[in-house]
Amino acid sequence: MNIQKLNVCMDILKKDLGEGFVASCIITTDDGQVLVATDKANIAEATLLNDATSLIRNALKTYPAELGQYYYIDVAGNMAVLVIPFGDYQWTVTINKKLVKLGLLLNVVLPAVINAFEDAVVS
Amino acid sequence: MKKDFKLIIDNDELENMPAIDSGMTDELQRWPLFGLSVGSFLQVIAMERQTCIMEVYLNAGHWGHFCFVQGELYDAVCGELEGEKAAMEMIVWENVRLNIKQILNTSGVARKIDKNLMLLLMESSRLRDEIHDGVQKPDGEEVEEEDEIDALEDVEDDAQYEKLNACLEIMGKDMGDALVAASISHVDESKIMASYRDAPEATAAVLRMTKFLRNSLRDAAADNLDDHYIVDLKGRQTLVVFIVGQYQWCIVFKNEKCTLGLLRNVIMPKALRAFDEIKLG
Repeated sequence: MNIQKLNVCMDILKKDLGEGFVASCIITTDDGQVLVATDKANIAEATLLNDATSLIRNALKTYPAELGQYYYIDVAGNMAVLVIPFGDYQWTVTINKKLVKLGLLLNVVLPAVINAFEDAVVS
Repeated sequence: MKKDFKLIIDNDELENMPAIDSGMTDELQRWPLFGLSVGSFLQVIAMERQTCIMEVYLNAGHWGHFCFVQGELYDAVCGELEGEKAAMEMIVWENVRLNIKQILNTSGVARKIDKNLMLLLMESSRLRDEIHDGVQKPDGEEVEEEDEIDALEDVEDDAQYEKLNACLEIMGKDMGDALVAASISHVDESKIMASYRDAPEATAAVLRMTKFLRNSLRDAAADNLDDHYIVDLKGRQTLVVFIVGQYQWCIVFKNEKCTLGLLRNVIMPKALRAFDEIKLG
């Protein structure tokens, strides 16, 4: 993994989300350790969401279906959390939902950061 | 009654079965279908609109039968239990042996189960979840009292189930082929209230998912899950869960035939208006 490119991913995210960006962190799914995190990142939440991803994967087997590129959780108040699982890694992004339109997040920002992250992982 | 086997069964597993004595062999040969769950097979018979007796054998002390007329569940018998109680007893059985007998003359068949089969399946799924969650029934006289309350609740449940199903039908009409499955459940009671092409197991799994997310947010960030969450699925499908008070709507749809924006801004508000009217009514 290319750490510099990983930091570039965070920069892309901050730039694209502007004032709507609140915090973000990338953890390893195996042991829940943090690779990169911004100042206000809630590490406990990111770690619990790692467990949530496993639970979601298992729950979806009953349909049967498989988890795709992301899941998005609407949190009471102004916040929302976007979770992007990437195999061995999981990226958690907290946004201010009043300042970021969901369409922009899912259709513009998400594809851009996924490309950047894949580039960082294979480098 | 005449035997009517229409299924092709893979009997390879017979060779891997544990050794059994010869007396049991004759008995087990009576049951040509094995390794199945009762719940799934009941749905097949209902879907095929079969008129038949489905005999079920779990073990020497647990066996019985279901009676279907044109795919409708008319009766069930299990030991001393009859009707709905017998059906609820057997629905949860897994890895059973089955035998199907066609009913040629239905004139003497009395209907003892009025409840919709899907409702029975959902109820059994809920009970199974409660057992998993460690909910225990009280002893002695309280059981009888609880049975009476349950009977009253069942009548109300039936009426509400039909209304909420109508609510999902509205959504089904609006979404057409785009709607893969949908359900309405009571989150705190882990109770499935209505379902549209959604398996009870799947709805129950999403209920567990909602509770986990709610608890995780509360524990880690002192936050609360708001009114929805979205899960992107492979195969260009999306699962959206809307939380409406104590209820949750779980919707799986095809992205190529319906957008998330259309669901959130047009279809869902209309369905929720119908839902509010039912709740108020």
